[in-house]
Amino acid sequence: MKLIMLLWLVLLCSCYGTRQSKGGGQISGTPAREINSADVVLPEGYRIEAVASGLNFPTAMAFDEEGTPYVIEAGYSYGEVFRKPRLLKITGGKTETVATGEENGPWTGIAFHKNNFYIAEGGQKEGGKILKVTPGGEITAVVEGLPGMGDHHTNGPVIRDGYIYFATGSVTNSGVVGPDNAEFGWLKRHPELHDIPCEDITLAGENFETEQVLTDAQGDKAVTGAYLPFGTASTAGQVIKGKLPCSGAVLRVPVSGGKMELVAWGLRNPYGLAVSGDGKLYVTENAADVRGSRPLWGVGDVLWEIRPGAWYGWPDYSEGKPVRLFKTPGGPALKPLLQEEKGEVPKPVAVLAVHSSSNGIDFSSNGNFGFENHAFIAQFGDMAPNVGKVLSPVGFKIVNVDVQSGAAKDFAVNRGKKGGPASRLHTGGLERPVSVKFDPSGDHLYIVDFGILKMTEDGKSVPVENTGVIWKVSVTR
Amino acid sequence: MKIFFVILLVSCCWMACTARRMPASSQASAEVEHGRDKYMQYCQKCHPMGESGLGPALNNSPAPGFVKRFQVRHGLGAMPAFKKDVISKADLHDIMRYMKSMKREEKLPS
Repeated sequence: MKLIMLLWLVLLCSCYGTRQSKGGGQISGTPAREINSADVVLPEGYRIEAVASGLNFPTAMAFDEEGTPYVIEAGYSYGEVFRKPRLLKITGGKTETVATGEENGPWTGIAFHKNNFYIAEGGQKEGGKILKVTPGGEITAVVEGLPGMGDHHTNGPVIRDGYIYFATGSVTNSGVVGPDNAEFGWLKRHPELHDIPCEDITLAGENFETEQVLTDAQGDKAVTGAYLPFGTASTAGQVIKGKLPCSGAVLRVPVSGGKMELVAWGLRNPYGLAVSGDGKLYVTENAADVRGSRPLWGVGDVLWEIRPGAWYGWPDYSEGKPVRLFKTPGGPALKPLLQEEKGEVPKPVAVLAVHSSSNGIDFSSNGNFGFENHAFIAQFGDMAPNVGKVLSPVGFKIVNVDVQSGAAKDFAVNRGKKGGPASRLHTGGLERPVSVKFDPSGDHLYIVDFGILKMTEDGKSVPVENTGVIWKVSVTR
Repeated sequence: MKIFFVILLVSCCWMACTARRMPASSQASAEVEHGRDKYMQYCQKCHPMGESGLGPALNNSPAPGFVKRFQVRHGLGAMPAFKKDVISKADLHDIMRYMKSMKREEKLPS
């Protein structure tokens, strides 16, 4: 009996280390995008339909005062594809260009407020911005010079109490610039880049030796410390001055213009921002990957309630827990990068699937739609093997989260014996949902589906243009 | 030895079943609801909705309850151990109830 139990355990666990990654984007060929709403499964009493297709890297939606839907196309995708971002009006399934931006995407989010659109420009080439766009298409920058040229970008915005709230992603995976950033493409463009703390920090003096990717000489090594440029070592007790704008933070400026203020920091990639019915600000955080000089393993994406002035722990905490708990199996121990913590780290509202890339968020405010005061979150889906290994595709769906209990449930998923994007399942369902938005009535939930983004076996991103779709979920009961 | 192969065969058949379940909003007992909350806290991120992700699927796992409890307590492979000071005996009991309830949910159409 003991032998059987032992063999059973071996069978069940059959060595994680030897199993290959089966990420959702790890597909061969270039599939055409098919659309079939019957391939998406929802709870009883809801139906889904596609309302626009052929969009180029769509990322977010907004509605004007008449309830007309608008969508933004990012203008940039991982895989170093640069295009001009656009604001499009959707009428009867057709799109009309309202405004065209510069090749400084990705445009990641949009809000409509008092007859103007506010757009978060990621800033991959020249830094992040918050743009104001008139209905006539005139673009002006409300905020410029945000960190956005690294791994993560400028996100948001949402408007609350006369302020534009927006977020800046971290420059790196876990605080240290490394060869993974050269693979992203930006390190050679901007070798001086590194993370910027929002307040003064004191370093523990942790350094990381890696291949020197900025020179051609074989065998060259680089030693890099936290919050410093690639190839610059740190010393214990070294103070890095904090400043605004910083990376990995939620910031705000008055809608009418004025001084930028820090709301919260110590976040890795705060992507989706939304205000709940009771006026609280929530943020989804894309958690650390198994890559670079300081890989973290098994870190779930997080839904946070944002408390003014709080430090959320990055790069020394994830999910509100110390990084030592996220050591790669068989890898070196993880030590804090900061000598002193910057405050008590809050507890997450919910911890979501590892590598799910939990992105855009909105709240149901309508009893008719159901799930009132629940958060709906678009899960873009894993980017394995670049982010780390997964045993099956993760994400590629919409989940709803009860923010009181932290319980997550599937809301919109692709049918099939296995999960994953439609391109992998050979169906016409969801590909990579990147954001969700209720219309002003609250009766319909719109899903922005980025389209196909393949991953090669060596971890490169290959987006397929013009495969984005807008889906609309309605109540049938 | 014969019994092992029988078990192996049954296990393989079981694991060939889908781990995926319908997006449901069924009501559950207080124990199951509590188990769900604890599952969300400790298990969900690697086994989302009982499906495979970073870790293997649980909804179609043929392992009996005592094996699963053993694995939770002692960890195995890449899975960390969760001792009684992290997940109490009562919480683990409720997590197991929740996992059973997930198994019983309607399967997704293929």
